[in-house]
Amino acid sequence: MPPTGLEPCKMNRKKGDKGFESPRPYKLTHQVVCINNINFQRKSVVGFVELTIFPTVANLNRIKLNSKQCRIYRVRINDLEAAFIYNDPTLEVCHSESKQRNLNYFSNAYAAAVSAVDPDAGNGELCIKVPSELWRHVDELKVLKIHINFSLDQPKGGLHFVVPSVEGSMAERGAHVFSCGYQNSTRFWFPCVDSYSELCTWKLEFTVDAAMVAVSNGDLVETVYTHDMRKKTFHYMLTIPTAASNISLAIGPFEILVDPYMHEVTHFCLPQLLPLLKHTTSYLHEVFEFYEEILTCRYPYSCFKTVFIDEAYVEVAAYASMSIFSTNLLHSAMIIDETPLTRRCLAQSLAQQFFGCFISRMSWSDEWVLKGISGYIYGLWMKKTFGVNEYRHWIKEELDKIVAYELKTGGVLLHPIFGGGKEKDNPASHLHFSIKHPHTLSWEYYTMFQCKAHLVMRLIENRISMEFMLQVFNKLLSLASTASSQKFQSHMWSQMLVSTYGFLKSISNVSGKDIQPLIKQWVDQSGVVKFYGSFAFNRKRNVLELEIKQDYTSPGTQKYVGPLKVTVQELDGSFNHTLQIEENSLKHDIPCHSKSRRNKKKKIPLMNGEEVDMDLSAMDADSPLLWIRIDPDMSVLRKVEFEQADFMWQYQLRYERDVVAQQESILALEKFPTPASRLALTDTLEHEHCFYRVRMAACFCLAKIANSMVSTWTGPPAMKSLFTRMFCCKTCPNIVKTNNFMSFQSYFLQKTMPVAMALLRDVHNLCPKEVLTFILDLIKYNDNRKNKFSDNYYRAEMIDALANSVTPAVSVNNEVRTLDNLNPDVRLILEEITRFLNMEKLLPSYRHTITVSCLKAIRVLQKNGHVPSDPALFKSYAEYGHFVDIRIAALEAVVDYTKVDRSYEELQWLLNMIQTDPVPYVRHKILNMLTKNPPFTKNLESPLCNEALVDQLWKLMNSGTSHDWRLRCGAVDLYFTLFGLSRPSCLPLPELGLVLNLKEKKAVLNPTIIPETAAGNQEAASNPSSHAQLGGFQNPFSCSQEEEEIDMDTVHDSQAFISHHLNMLERPSTPGLSKYRPASSRSSLIPQHSSGSDGTPPTKPPWTVELARKGAGKEQSPLEMSVPAVPAAPLSLFAKEAAASKHGEHRRRHEHKKKKKKHRHKHRHRHRHDARERERDREPFAFSSPASGRSARSPSLSD
Amino acid sequence: RSGSKHSTNPADNYHLARRRTLQVVVSSLLTEAGFESAEKASVETLTEMLQSCDAGIKGMCHHTCFNVDTLPAYAKRSQRMVITAPPVTNQPVTPKALTAGQNRPHPPHIPSHFPEFPDPHTYIKTPTYREPVSDYQVLREKAASQRRDVERALTRFMAKTGETQSLFKDDVSTFPLIAARPFTIPYLTALLPSELEMQQMEETDSLEQDEQMDTENLALHVSTDDSGAEKENASVLQQNPALPGSRNGEESVIDNPYLRPVKKPKILSSRASWSLLLGTKSLASGRELG
Repeated sequence: MPPTGLEPCKMNRKKGDKGFESPRPYKLTHQVVCINNINFQRKSVVGFVELTIFPTVANLNRIKLNSKQCRIYRVRINDLEAAFIYNDPTLEVCHSESKQRNLNYFSNAYAAAVSAVDPDAGNGELCIKVPSELWRHVDELKVLKIHINFSLDQPKGGLHFVVPSVEGSMAERGAHVFSCGYQNSTRFWFPCVDSYSELCTWKLEFTVDAAMVAVSNGDLVETVYTHDMRKKTFHYMLTIPTAASNISLAIGPFEILVDPYMHEVTHFCLPQLLPLLKHTTSYLHEVFEFYEEILTCRYPYSCFKTVFIDEAYVEVAAYASMSIFSTNLLHSAMIIDETPLTRRCLAQSLAQQFFGCFISRMSWSDEWVLKGISGYIYGLWMKKTFGVNEYRHWIKEELDKIVAYELKTGGVLLHPIFGGGKEKDNPASHLHFSIKHPHTLSWEYYTMFQCKAHLVMRLIENRISMEFMLQVFNKLLSLASTASSQKFQSHMWSQMLVSTYGFLKSISNVSGKDIQPLIKQWVDQSGVVKFYGSFAFNRKRNVLELEIKQDYTSPGTQKYVGPLKVTVQELDGSFNHTLQIEENSLKHDIPCHSKSRRNKKKKIPLMNGEEVDMDLSAMDADSPLLWIRIDPDMSVLRKVEFEQADFMWQYQLRYERDVVAQQESILALEKFPTPASRLALTDTLEHEHCFYRVRMAACFCLAKIANSMVSTWTGPPAMKSLFTRMFCCKTCPNIVKTNNFMSFQSYFLQKTMPVAMALLRDVHNLCPKEVLTFILDLIKYNDNRKNKFSDNYYRAEMIDALANSVTPAVSVNNEVRTLDNLNPDVRLILEEITRFLNMEKLLPSYRHTITVSCLKAIRVLQKNGHVPSDPALFKSYAEYGHFVDIRIAALEAVVDYTKVDRSYEELQWLLNMIQTDPVPYVRHKILNMLTKNPPFTKNLESPLCNEALVDQLWKLMNSGTSHDWRLRCGAVDLYFTLFGLSRPSCLPLPELGLVLNLKEKKAVLNPTIIPETAAGNQEAASNPSSHAQLGGFQNPFSCSQEEEEIDMDTVHDSQAFISHHLNMLERPSTPGLSKYRPASSRSSLIPQHSSGSDGTPPTKPPWTVELARKGAGKEQSPLEMSVPAVPAAPLSLFAKEAAASKHGEHRRRHEHKKKKKKHRHKHRHRHRHDARERERDREPFAFSSPASGRSARSPSLSD
Repeated sequence: RSGSKHSTNPADNYHLARRRTLQVVVSSLLTEAGFESAEKASVETLTEMLQSCDAGIKGMCHHTCFNVDTLPAYAKRSQRMVITAPPVTNQPVTPKALTAGQNRPHPPHIPSHFPEFPDPHTYIKTPTYREPVSDYQVLREKAASQRRDVERALTRFMAKTGETQSLFKDDVSTFPLIAARPFTIPYLTALLPSELEMQQMEETDSLEQDEQMDTENLALHVSTDDSGAEKENASVLQQNPALPGSRNGEESVIDNPYLRPVKKPKILSSRASWSLLLGTKSLASGRELG
């Protein structure tokens, strides 16, 4: 059965695939992309592509390709004109006249729209009809060459033009263009099969101005002048089979730097930045060496190119044999802070060259393997480059992030399985978006997904050892590289695609170990583990009684069963114990090795074999326990809340050598504001051998403790004397030494301590005068003349420190803030900020770090009521033309202002910017910041929440952001944050208050009418329809509920839906339709591969497919047309959707369980007939509404 | 001019003084001769006579047979009047005000008729020393406040002369902020901050040498990264004939496709691309893959 799009393929994985089964009825072998003209002034591109394909089924009469925003002039197959239809349902997800405003509806429709053009489901926006003359040819499975002429005018996504408005030629102006996008987005700039699983060889040609360079994938074969010698054509050849999604392009007046260590590597940057480029890339060869060594595999491509461009979509984007970076990663040797960050970006992109570009994936649900491996080997590089401490710290950080995210949103699923109509059809019903497609994912979710993927890879390594792990990688790579050198006919290319199954099989072959439980726990299932631990020491039995509880009912959690390592540090040494966590055992007895005998003066052995002297006086006299750690190796994705006495945390901080343990104890000590904690932290802070990040964390903890102990605190403010001792002159302690940042550890500490100190508060909850003077002095005496490094980050942090010292103004009757009643301390602060900000105009700092800090500080002053709250300043800094860091900082302030002052005007200003700003990253970031710091949320009344806003946002995500997946998902996130899943409460009631509940076959009150507050009482709510009000993760039924209730309101919608499709033909995106389609092909346009009936004589008009395809998300539409008598048959359509919610039983509430059982039964029953019914269902529909079908077709046929 | 005044005045003084002395002598002679008073005119006349007699005393001796030898006796006569020596008006020691050093004689190459050097004080320099401030604290303090003052003054000046923004609506002058101005190419100022340029300039002295060492090692490679593609092409094109030879000779020539010369368009290739455009025949695609 050729896929039609109703089932998002995925059958190959389920079958335990032997090889790769393409979801497409043809195989692509080679593609030519030729861009003959690029016009920077008009921002347009003209070119053609030629795809060489081999049909894999005899009766292939339609070829679906991906193409977005391209204007297609002409399509020829083997030199014969071919008819084509261009239809992109993602342009407008829900028809514009619809009154529907609930997100559930949108998300489903959006997922369906994406699915309808998903190449992995055999679909595409561009449907080309094979000319009848070639049918014979096709039946013999002979080669087809599809030649498509296209142009691109002012692309809004996919290709980004940067054209500075200065004098001079385009090259002199530094104008450049590059491809960008989120996941597979190549279809935005040329027609292709935009899938990671369709590999082919490439010939790429770009004709550009003679002063420009075109950088693309593969080997540059030659550069040839055009006849007028004004332009050059760059000919690239990529012989390694590569997916279209990994094709990229960058054109600009780049400066070229051949890597001095590796001549195959070439670096490109914008004019004037060559010195920075030299320094920045000087390290790259070491990364190459590292990866090649651990993978025992050469870099797969014959060359590598790095391009640094402005207005980057993401900081790092990896494509076949080329990576595109943000130009802002470039830095000189004088910059400390940026160096490790940039190196990390370089290393990350290189890891993705191996896994992600060279080795591609079979389907979206295998993405985790690639992200996991590239993230994992990147981690190994981190460990080697920055040391074990940094590595463990990073792992801990990533773990904390993913745990926090999963607990917040309800889980990240690495390997989603979507059986068509199976019980777990929707494995992510807790989310407000579909995870079936990368393009429907929230950006934050995707970030967390990558984070979890590499953590899970690490877990696998823990299980099978690193040696085996690397062997597996090597095996994947060598298979792929053998395959890549083969001809297409050998059918080996699919070896270059990785699948979950293949990867796991490889692991079991290499290691002989069964990691299935681990995979089941972390890959096939979402959620993290939440442990609560406490203990008691039984003196009589000399046994440690450990109690470990789990919370597996909250959203985002799962139950853990299996081994758990516990490390106990006793007087006699450190001992590891492996506990078995089982269903019902909470208590674990661990025998202790040592008696409490502290009278003997003896050194205490640590885990690493070191023996140290400890002052044991703080200990409990009866217990030999120094400290206990649960899962010290982070071999479970978990959050541990462990209770132990303060002195144990203090010992742990002082003597445990693992940085993660030290950090955990610092976090725990916040709750124990005692002199002993203070001492332990101070000692850590002073201890030079201690990891600098731990020392930095200790600073902040010390500040918190000092604030808690404010009434009993003795001596100077925390850290002051310490700082003086470390960084100030011996003779005059109030003056800081001239800067010398040769020791990075102390540099970071020097930066951090004042920031932490500024958080200190006295009994009046004000920042002590002494501290403020101290910081002001630091600023005053700062002297960088003798320093080898720039101090811009240091000064920026001093401004942050000033901002931290600000406390709310004492306000009398909301008086207006004027200069006269300005607090004298604030006046001093403001003086500094003014000077810094003004100096930046004359002598800017690297990346304008100081401006960024100043803007943040001004917002803090505004927020605390010292300075009148006013967004004008920030708005001017947020304008296009400022450095991106400044813009983001300014926009963040405006977002905050919008929230605090509930300003409708500013919100409108922001929304306008989201739609019009030239920089995609800024647009994305505004949405992101609005979501993080929303002006209101779904549960709050706000004057901002009105119908116009709802419409505006709806429009934004419905049609306004169709050119950028990331942006659209960002808009969805914002909509969810503001209004929740159901109909926004600020909307007027729909025209009809009754809805039909199809499942129960009765009319109920429209759930959207039920006020939001009523839904808060979820436990008591017995009416299932009220659950629709809740956040999706609270109620597994919410999705299905929405589906099943047909809003009478949407009767209009059905009509609108039809007319929408009628209009489709008049769209600018389908220019070829009426103009170019040859009349001869008119009648043969129709053939359709409806499921199972491929090749049968065409009976159905083309648009019925469209409707049916859309049906996946828009079940309502066919129904609505016949709403007066709700038929029984369409019910089956919903059965699938209802079953979708069946996933995620582990976190169901009890009262749901009964209901669930009942329903499940029903659903299963339904499901059995599902497929058949659907077929049947579609047929009658197609004929029952012939008017709609025919009329839709008529415009194209009539000319 | 002032010099002439100086010279006449002492001479006048001298004559006046002499005449006054002679008057006193005449008066005393008259007193000696028994006069109690004399008219001024007669005294004047006698003085005049004496003066001229004094001047021509020698001639007088000759012509009037005046015996000079009697003079000493006469001078020592007992009833003579003793006239106190006129108060020695301190010989006008030519005012050597502020003499500094010695007047320099002309060096040999300056002819002597040239005017003399002016007084040394007009060109001599006299270095004066003050005890240097060596207290570290004071130094730092001074450096810090000086820098701060300069910065403050400068920024205020800039703010006054240009557009500003203000944090307070009622007051625009206390904390004037130079207005934010967008750049056409914002990344250039951000990545190549002038602040660092200055710092680097200070350091270049010390670093330059080290860097030179480095670049020398890489010189061959670095020289290849010519910025302007156009320029590079031209130069490489020129070198082209020599290229094969040099490649044999030096192994250091990098074979990087981006450094290769741009080819001239060939008729053949153009026809091929035409055919591609027309879609009659495609280039490499089919052939490549067999």
